[in-house]
Amino acid sequence: MEWKHRHVLDLKDWKREDILFLLDQAKNMDNLIDRPIKKVPALRGKLVVNLFFEASTRTRVSFELAEKLLSADVVNWSASGSSVSKGETLRDTAWTLEAMGADAVVVRHGASGSAHYLARKLKRAVVFNGGDGAYSHPTQALLDAYTAWKSFPNLEGRKMAILGDVLHSRVARSDIQVFRTLGCEIVLSGPETLMPFDVKSLGVTYEPDPWKAVKNADIVYLLRIQRERQEEGLFPSLDEYHLRFGADEKLVSKAKEGALVMHPGPINRRVEIDSSIADGTQSRILQQVRSGVAVRMALLYLCLGGVMA
Amino acid sequence: MILFKNATLFDGKTFYEGTLDLLVREGIIETFGQNVSAPGAEILDLGGKVLSPGFVDLHCHMRDPGFEWREDIESAAAAAAAGGFSTAVAMPNTDPAVDNDALVRYVIEKGIRAGYSRILPAGAVTKRREGKELAEMGKMASAGCVLFTDDGAPVGSSRLFRTALQYSQSLKVRIMEHPEDTSLSRGGQVNEGRCSSLAGLKGIPASAEEIGVFRAISLSRETGVPVHLTHLSTRESVSLVREAKKEGLAVTCDVTPHHLRFSEESVIESGFDSRFKVNPPLRSSDDIESLWEALADGTVDAIATDHAPWHLDEKDLPFPEAPFGIASIECAFPGVFTCWLNRGKPFGLDRLLALFTSGPASLLPGEWPSHGRLTRLGKADLVVLDMDLERKVAVEEWKSKARLSPWEGLSLFGWPVLTMVEGRVVFDRSRE
Repeated sequence: MEWKHRHVLDLKDWKREDILFLLDQAKNMDNLIDRPIKKVPALRGKLVVNLFFEASTRTRVSFELAEKLLSADVVNWSASGSSVSKGETLRDTAWTLEAMGADAVVVRHGASGSAHYLARKLKRAVVFNGGDGAYSHPTQALLDAYTAWKSFPNLEGRKMAILGDVLHSRVARSDIQVFRTLGCEIVLSGPETLMPFDVKSLGVTYEPDPWKAVKNADIVYLLRIQRERQEEGLFPSLDEYHLRFGADEKLVSKAKEGALVMHPGPINRRVEIDSSIADGTQSRILQQVRSGVAVRMALLYLCLGGVMA
Repeated sequence: MILFKNATLFDGKTFYEGTLDLLVREGIIETFGQNVSAPGAEILDLGGKVLSPGFVDLHCHMRDPGFEWREDIESAAAAAAAGGFSTAVAMPNTDPAVDNDALVRYVIEKGIRAGYSRILPAGAVTKRREGKELAEMGKMASAGCVLFTDDGAPVGSSRLFRTALQYSQSLKVRIMEHPEDTSLSRGGQVNEGRCSSLAGLKGIPASAEEIGVFRAISLSRETGVPVHLTHLSTRESVSLVREAKKEGLAVTCDVTPHHLRFSEESVIESGFDSRFKVNPPLRSSDDIESLWEALADGTVDAIATDHAPWHLDEKDLPFPEAPFGIASIECAFPGVFTCWLNRGKPFGLDRLLALFTSGPASLLPGEWPSHGRLTRLGKADLVVLDMDLERKVAVEEWKSKARLSPWEGLSLFGWPVLTMVEGRVVFDRSRE
């Protein structure tokens, strides 16, 4: 199969076969991670810059690990203490990086659309969106798909319930794109004030009652609840959230037997998830982390035209 | 002395049959009719092109004084001329705001010195546009201000708005309201609906505008004072104005070229290109339909550009960081005309042209309404339009300082080829 995605900005134009091909590639990478000597020279001599304008641990570390396992040269460029804090615009930062010879830029930025913006400004380098505003987090969605696919090789017709702050979630928007393309039926639940205004436009439905939303679900996907949203007055308290929408054993028992519980991390125990669920047998949270490295390796490899020795 | 031969004459409301000649002498339309001759006159054979009263733009941000790197009165006036506008009203959201008679005179005089289209000032409703105290509306009206507006924002409080309407009544200068409930729109980036849902950008709900429209209508009804609502963008907004008109209220409104052409889908399809960032935001395709219906049935009185130029460096940013505003004055008529063509001419061309001429002119005080009409012995404010001329919008050639616009690259028909202000040619495409 010929790989036609130059950048990874969002998953809007990804077809089912693109996703399945990527998942296959990720599986190869996953096997690689199990080898005693993990590193391969596929991206030797390629310069990858991790450009992070927002705090991120797991995405940045996961990308960095993936880059290093493929033998790319890695530079971490964070916003604080750099030219960015001196008022440099994203455009100038981009051109600076390109002048230094970057082959790829992984960008995390608080503004929706900033990865697209960067891709428009860069002439040569490939852009990987590490999360932009509340719009897109494509690598997270692909690693979620990979994690689910390992348990359910055919995701067609599966039911996925996404619970929490969908309104502010780039993870939810990207997961919806990927899991819908793979044939899943998606139901959202959570306080109405944390839902996008026009849920229909996302191709999903909204069910205010989490018990009904989770009923017969194959995947229960929980989103992180941020305290700031309470301060904005979108819901009264974390405790009330937990009481109404928090995932505990009772709620998860409504899902299908063997349903997967997923969360993009970092988790808030006793807010959106109870420890019994987070640490239980249905939880795939740590597998998601591991999948992240494999999926990002596959993406880097495909988009940077790597050579497998 | 200029003699236009073989012109399709539009008088501001209707077309004359066939082609006629029109003679301009000393800034005045001396006569028009068949076989006009004037020895010694420069003859321009229009070969059937449309000759219309020059366009009037009620809403143009000229950024002068204070933000001249974005635009100034000279560049805006030259841009207006190239767009076929012989008159453009300068918005007062400058630095300092145009909130006193000295600044009103500054705008008028700088416009005269520029020597392109006529620039008329709008004055702020409140001092420094702060929405706290009334500006000196009487002095500004005497100095030649033609509209009052705190545009960029609504009039601060409903109480102050009501007072301003009452106070301005005897001045015969309309208040132009930018309808927006800022408690609903604050922090918003795009239309609340498909775009905000898909993009994860904070939405600006239709209700933010509609509450503003309702407020203005309610206050106009109660005080009996006319009010003009600018840049309406939603179905319910124009519906409220339609009902107000049926009721006999002196409520008028305008819409912009971009709200007639672009929807919220453009934001997504362009990959969040900041050229599509504007307030009010680009709305749904259903809202666009409602605006075209409102043009057809007479609910809308004028098309106003809301030309809002920015320096490239200020506008070329990731979407949420970029400022609101679309620059369009140089392609406003071709933009709307081409949509009208593509929609299969949903109403007469006379109606469309009236929205750029007699419609907006009629909302200005004093003698200005006559500038939207083509009459014998009237002022020769004219535009020649080549309806068959097809050109691509090329922003880098603009006289405006703006270098980003969503209209860039679109192939449009109906370009102004000559613009005249009181007999003076201020734009001639053949000499460009």
